[in-house]
Amino acid sequence: MTVETMPKAVPPVPSKTAPGVRVGGLSVVYKTSAGELPAIAGINLDLVPGTITGVVGESGSGKSTLALSLLNAVQPPGRIAAGSVEIDGLGDVVALRGEDLRKARGRHIGYVFQAAQNSLNPLKTVGKQLLDLGRSHGVSDLRALVREAKELLGRMGMDGARVLDSHQHELSGGMRQRVGIMLALVLNAHLVVLDEPTTALDMITQATILRIIREVHEERGLTTLVITHDLGVVAEVADRLAVMYGGRIVEQGPTREVLGGPRHPYTRGLLRAIPRLVGDIDEARALPGRPPTLGTVPREGCVFRERCPLRMDVCDTVEPLAIADGPRIVACHAVDAAAAKETKA
Amino acid sequence: MSDMNPAVALPGNTRATLRRNFWRGVWRVLKRKPSRMAGAIIVLAFAFMGVFGPMFYPDQLPRDDNALYAPPSWAHPFGTDFEGTDVLALVITGSQYVLLTGLVTAVITIVLGTGIGLFAGFRRGRWDSVLMRITDMKLTIPGLPLLLVLSTIWKFSSAWEMGLVLGLLGWGGVARAVRSQTLSLRERGFIEAARGLGLSTTHIIGRELLPSMAPFIAMNMLIAVTGAVYAQVGLFFLGVLPFEANNWGVMLNLAVFGGGALTTTAALPYLLAPLLAILLLTLGIVLVVDAMDEIFNPRLREE
Amino acid sequence: MITGTGITKTYKQRGNVLSGREVKALRGVDFSIEKGGAVSFIGESGCGKTTLGRIIAGLETHDGGEIVIDGVPMSSLKPRKREPYFRRIQLIHQDPYSALNPTRTVHQTLAAPLALRARRTGRPGSWMDERAEELLALVGLDPGYVLPRYPHQLSGGMRQRVVIARALTVDPEMLVADEATSMIDVSLRLGILSLLKDLRERLGVSVLFITHDVATARYIGEGGDLYVIYRGQVVERGQVETIIENPVHPYTQSLLSAIPVLHGLEKPGEQPVVPTAALDESKTDDGCLFARRCPFSTDRCASEVPSLAVTGAFPQEHSCFYPERRSVVATPLEAA
Repeated sequence: MTVETMPKAVPPVPSKTAPGVRVGGLSVVYKTSAGELPAIAGINLDLVPGTITGVVGESGSGKSTLALSLLNAVQPPGRIAAGSVEIDGLGDVVALRGEDLRKARGRHIGYVFQAAQNSLNPLKTVGKQLLDLGRSHGVSDLRALVREAKELLGRMGMDGARVLDSHQHELSGGMRQRVGIMLALVLNAHLVVLDEPTTALDMITQATILRIIREVHEERGLTTLVITHDLGVVAEVADRLAVMYGGRIVEQGPTREVLGGPRHPYTRGLLRAIPRLVGDIDEARALPGRPPTLGTVPREGCVFRERCPLRMDVCDTVEPLAIADGPRIVACHAVDAAAAKETKA
Repeated sequence: MSDMNPAVALPGNTRATLRRNFWRGVWRVLKRKPSRMAGAIIVLAFAFMGVFGPMFYPDQLPRDDNALYAPPSWAHPFGTDFEGTDVLALVITGSQYVLLTGLVTAVITIVLGTGIGLFAGFRRGRWDSVLMRITDMKLTIPGLPLLLVLSTIWKFSSAWEMGLVLGLLGWGGVARAVRSQTLSLRERGFIEAARGLGLSTTHIIGRELLPSMAPFIAMNMLIAVTGAVYAQVGLFFLGVLPFEANNWGVMLNLAVFGGGALTTTAALPYLLAPLLAILLLTLGIVLVVDAMDEIFNPRLREE
Repeated sequence: MITGTGITKTYKQRGNVLSGREVKALRGVDFSIEKGGAVSFIGESGCGKTTLGRIIAGLETHDGGEIVIDGVPMSSLKPRKREPYFRRIQLIHQDPYSALNPTRTVHQTLAAPLALRARRTGRPGSWMDERAEELLALVGLDPGYVLPRYPHQLSGGMRQRVVIARALTVDPEMLVADEATSMIDVSLRLGILSLLKDLRERLGVSVLFITHDVATARYIGEGGDLYVIYRGQVVERGQVETIIENPVHPYTQSLLSAIPVLHGLEKPGEQPVVPTAALDESKTDDGCLFARRCPFSTDRCASEVPSLAVTGAFPQEHSCFYPERRSVVATPLEAA
């Protein structure tokens, strides 16, 4: 492998404010007519302070549910059934209630919603919405808040004063996305969750937004979580990558290592299913089958076995454990078996 | 006629299966909430009352001259009126006119409103402008004064006539709403695809557009029934129409202006009985309307 | 064979009488699509590629220019007579969720156009059911499972296959796939793409692929032409592989530079091109439309209009005064 310096292996100034996050054994269930079904089950994920973590998954993988759990914002009929989300300086978010929780959102955790392009109030200017946000969080110095917002917008390459005077319809998709990022950061949150930050944006705008996410992350010393369905997005921005399937994290590790040498058959299949600009185009192969939904996720055994080329008997009955190998964590029986053989040999 | 209805050429059992599944779905949707069941039962009971109720009574209802404004009793659950006629019998025999008017009004409102709205929204352009100007003009006609004027020359002795007039006065709102629904639906991919495949306009309107609007149309139809009931009962109550027909509105009028139900208690049951009937009918319809969305949407129906 | 010359389209934006402004969606586009061929249009959203696709599928009209289908100029026909020509060009929508009527089963969806066809060709009713099953099998679905189901009971990928099967009911000559995979799960996208590719090979259906993702254009349009469209104008046109390997127009280069690099598998191109400004449609341009965003623009670019032509030593057509090959595409890392 060529030696390349990772753009951001170590956080720049080990900022005292970038919090670490430890998600432990997190399960979220949704109440349906068929009983309570798990959207995510037994998720273990550490967000290292000052890094960008990318969570990749298809529809129904539970990635958005995971993101909402970080805010303890899972809406009924869903509920957090087990596990904890420890955030430095906040404690276990799962235990927070009411006013404490509301204050934590915004002040500690900034959230950029899926389709942030459409999440602005169409009737109010961006500035008014900013002031609403400040008031609801009891900011006393609203002038300073506006100044901060202008600075952030300016940092993202926009004319702050003009943007604050604009309504949603006067801004392009990429500009709205940046406004969403500004609103998530303006209260000085140091943990930022971005849910599908670039969906519905075209390539050039996407590249701009990803660059901005990276730069703002470094400058402000953040801990960032990016949720997306697009491996390319994660590959561009994330230091660490977690691949979700059927409500489980099937593989995680440093982005480059995972992409360069994927171990879980799902990660491999996903990578092979993406047409690339270079190389033999006919090598691209579709993954057979389709992703499971809440109702069709197998109750026992491996969630991926239906589509897996390495399926073994044990996969039908025993859910594979997430086994760590250095920084890499993989949950797959076949990978375990291969590793065991190697050590024996 | 397979020209207009390609599905006819399908094996018969598929359509029969679909229909059976539909009714099974309706049953499932109603069972989902007890309130819907109650609503459906109320509406069915009223329908039964309207159709068969009058058959249980003689044309000339018996009078009991000894019991004018009698209080409620086993023989007369809602007492009697000023002539000693059983109030319950009056409500039941009166329901036919009221309900038939409601139905006729609703059908005319929906047929005209949907037809004009669909046509205007689908054709757009000149047709749309002309039809919508007509609708606007119609909407500006004040209904009640017009009815008052009409009643001086027309006696509305049959429910059909009453329903016709109310229906002709009521389609404007539905037409506007259906038009805007059509305008937004016609931009949807499946309508465009149908056009791209060369399917006939009849097919597109009848098989693609209408079913998508079915919950909306059904809701409007039910609400039109209540509207029509209020309107005619109101007219009779005000006394602008001659009392040729037995009607809940007539009862209200007589109870208030004849029996002084607002000042004395004697005529109170006489006043309350038709009011209760109207309330119950409205309640039933409101409860059923709640199910319409789920009945006509296959996804919600089957979940 | 479908060709177009000088296609223009202008939308009048709503507003009051005084402020209503015009948006030029297409500014004189030429194209030609061979029978059984594959052509891809790429560009940013709002560049006019979708409008062009819809005009080609007969779903929208154009203001100027001429479309010729199988040698027949469409302007010579009355609108009613054009229909049979355009029916042979079927659009596959981006959104398989709105492209199917939620109140109709797959069987009903396929039966309607098949019934029309059966009547026109005098086939018996039983042919329809056979044909419906045949088409579903062709697009890789199990007819027994899919036919009685409503769209909401199918996954996005299955719906898109049903949409394709529906388009095939009229034996089309060309499929126009407008971002046909963008709303489908990543692991299922390639399945749809290879289906389109397969249909092209097996049935000889030509495919017009409209996308912002050059890599999928490369996958499906192998050996075909790539049109890079910017603000209603073709700025570079040539074989897909040629343009991906040797893009010469700065706009094409910035599109290719923007594609995320799978770090760990690939390394980024050495000379990435990043536009100097965001797209701003409110300004008018006298010269090259890309000049205001182009990092390499000169005074000439701002005043003189370049035309699409082959110049220099490059095989593809382009509209840049200063064509230059730049290495913008990521290259695979050698496996260690």
